[in-house]
Amino acid sequence: MLPEIIVLITAFTLMFVDLFLKRETRYFLMGIPLGGLALAFISVFFLSNRKSFGGQFSLENIDLWLKVFFILCAFVIAIASFSFILGESKETCHKKQIYSFEFLTILLFNLSGMLFLVSARDLLTLYVSLELSTLPLFILTAWKRDALSSEAGLKYVVLGALASALLLLGFSIFYGLTGTMDLVLIGRSTNVSPLFWFASVLVISAIGFKLTLVPFHMWAPEVYQGAPTVVTAYLSVASKGAGLVLMFQIFFRIFGASISSFYFAIALLSALTMTLGNVVAIVQENIKRFMAFSAISQAGYLIMGFLGGFHANSQAVLQGLSRTHPLIALSMMIGLFGLAGIPPLSGFIGKFFLFSVAASSGFYWLVAVAAINSVISLYYYLRIVRQMYIEPVLETTVFPMKLSMGGLLGSLVVISVLLGLVPVFYETILWTWKN
Amino acid sequence: MLASIFNSPYFYPSIYHWLVLSSALFSIGIYGFLTRKNAVGILISLELCLNSGALNFVVFDYFRGNHIDGKIMALFIIAVAAAEVVIAMAIFVGMFKHKKTIDVTEMNQMRN
Repeated sequence: MLPEIIVLITAFTLMFVDLFLKRETRYFLMGIPLGGLALAFISVFFLSNRKSFGGQFSLENIDLWLKVFFILCAFVIAIASFSFILGESKETCHKKQIYSFEFLTILLFNLSGMLFLVSARDLLTLYVSLELSTLPLFILTAWKRDALSSEAGLKYVVLGALASALLLLGFSIFYGLTGTMDLVLIGRSTNVSPLFWFASVLVISAIGFKLTLVPFHMWAPEVYQGAPTVVTAYLSVASKGAGLVLMFQIFFRIFGASISSFYFAIALLSALTMTLGNVVAIVQENIKRFMAFSAISQAGYLIMGFLGGFHANSQAVLQGLSRTHPLIALSMMIGLFGLAGIPPLSGFIGKFFLFSVAASSGFYWLVAVAAINSVISLYYYLRIVRQMYIEPVLETTVFPMKLSMGGLLGSLVVISVLLGLVPVFYETILWTWKN
Repeated sequence: MLASIFNSPYFYPSIYHWLVLSSALFSIGIYGFLTRKNAVGILISLELCLNSGALNFVVFDYFRGNHIDGKIMALFIIAVAAAEVVIAMAIFVGMFKHKKTIDVTEMNQMRN
C-alpha cells in the first residue's frame, strides 16, 4: 500500500506547510503535490501482488492499472488547478481563497480514497473508501462559495448521502444473508432469493448514482454546471472511474456466480443512458451542461472530459476560436472527434472493444442502439466544431492562455492520438485482466 | 410473577422484531427525505436511513454468531455519518449566506 501512504503523507505535508508559510512564498508549494504524485506513480510499479491485513487489502494486476489511471488523473487536475488556486483564473471570486492550497489537500485525500477502493476486499473497507472518494467531492463542488456553486454542492451532498444510505442498507442485507464481510465469500455463499434481489437493486442504484446511469443521473448536469471547471473535469473522469471500480468490485466479486442474471438489467441501463444522454445533449445551451449530458451518454470513455477546462460558459463563447486560438481549436476538435469515435483516435478503439464485448455475449440490439447513438452524438460534436471554425469571431473568444495549460492540452491530445494508434495497450490490459 | 414474564423467551425480541424496527426507520427516513422542504430536515431524515443500516449490521451480527465484524462496521458508519453531516452543514451555511433560506424548493437557479 505504498502509493496510498505516499499520497496521504503528501496531503498532510501540504496542509501543514501551507499553514505556516507567508502568502507570497506559497507559490513554491506547487512542487509538493506534483512531487508526491510523481513519487506515488513510480511506487505503483514496485508493488507486487500480495495480500495484507488478513486479505482485506489486496493487489492484482488489474488493480495496478486502475491505480495508475487515478494517479494520472489527479496529476493532470493538479496542474490544471494551479491558475484556479493562485487566483489568476476568472473563476476565483473570494480574495481569501487566493493561494489556498487546501484545494489540493482535499483532492489528495479523495485520491487516496479511490486508491483504497481499488484494493478493498471486504464490505467495511469498500464502504469507508467509497465514502472517502465521495465526501471530498462535495467540498470541492461548493468551493467557489457563490450562489451557483453552493447550490450545486447542496444538491450533490443531499443526493450523495441518499445514495450512500441505499448502498449501506444493501450491504447490511448481504451481510445478513451470508454472515461474512469478505466480498468473495459473500459471492460464494449467496443463494438467489427475493431478499438478494432487493439488496442488489439497492446497491445497483447506488452504483448508478456514482456512474450517472440514467434513472439516477439527475444530479449530474446541475453539479457539473455549478462546480468550478477543474472540479467538473475531475468529477467526469476520476469520480466516474471510482464508480466503475465500485461496479467491478460488486459485480465480479459479490454477484460473481449469478452475474449472467444481471446482463439484461445492465444492457437496459446502458441503452437508456446512451439514448437519453444524447437526445438531451442536443438541446443544451450551456457548455458545461452539454458536457455533462455527453458524459452521461459516454459513461465509459471519458478522458477527454478535460475539454471542459475552458473558462467559458456558453457554447457561443467558442465562436471563431479557430482564428483567435487555432491550436486550442484544433485540440478541442481532436478531442470531440475522439469522443465521437472517429477511427485514428482513442474513442474508436474504446468503442470497438466495448461493442465487441456486447456482441460476443449476444446483445446485438444493444450494439445497434449504441451505433445509432454514435451518429447522433457526431451531430452535436460537429455543431461545436462549426462554432469554432465557421462562425465569426466574438470579443469573448479572446482570452489569455497560460503555458502550463497549453502544454497540458497538447500532451493530452498526443496521448489521445497515441492510444488510438497503439491498441497493444488495451490488449495488454485485457490480457492481464483475463489472467 | 413479574420476573417470570421478563424471563420468558417471548419477552425478548427476535430478529424479526429488530428487522421490522430498522425497516420502519428506513421508511420514515425516505418519507422525510421526500416531503421535507428544509435542507436540515432532509439531512435528519437521511441520518435515520443511515442509522437503520447501522442497526441492521448490529442485529445481523448478534443473531448470526456474534462475530465482531458487524459491530465494528456500525462504529465506522457512525463516524462516516458525522463527517457527512459536517460537510453538508458547511455547505448549507454557505448557501444561507447567499439566499437567506435553505428551502430546497427554491434551489432553481440553474435552468437551461
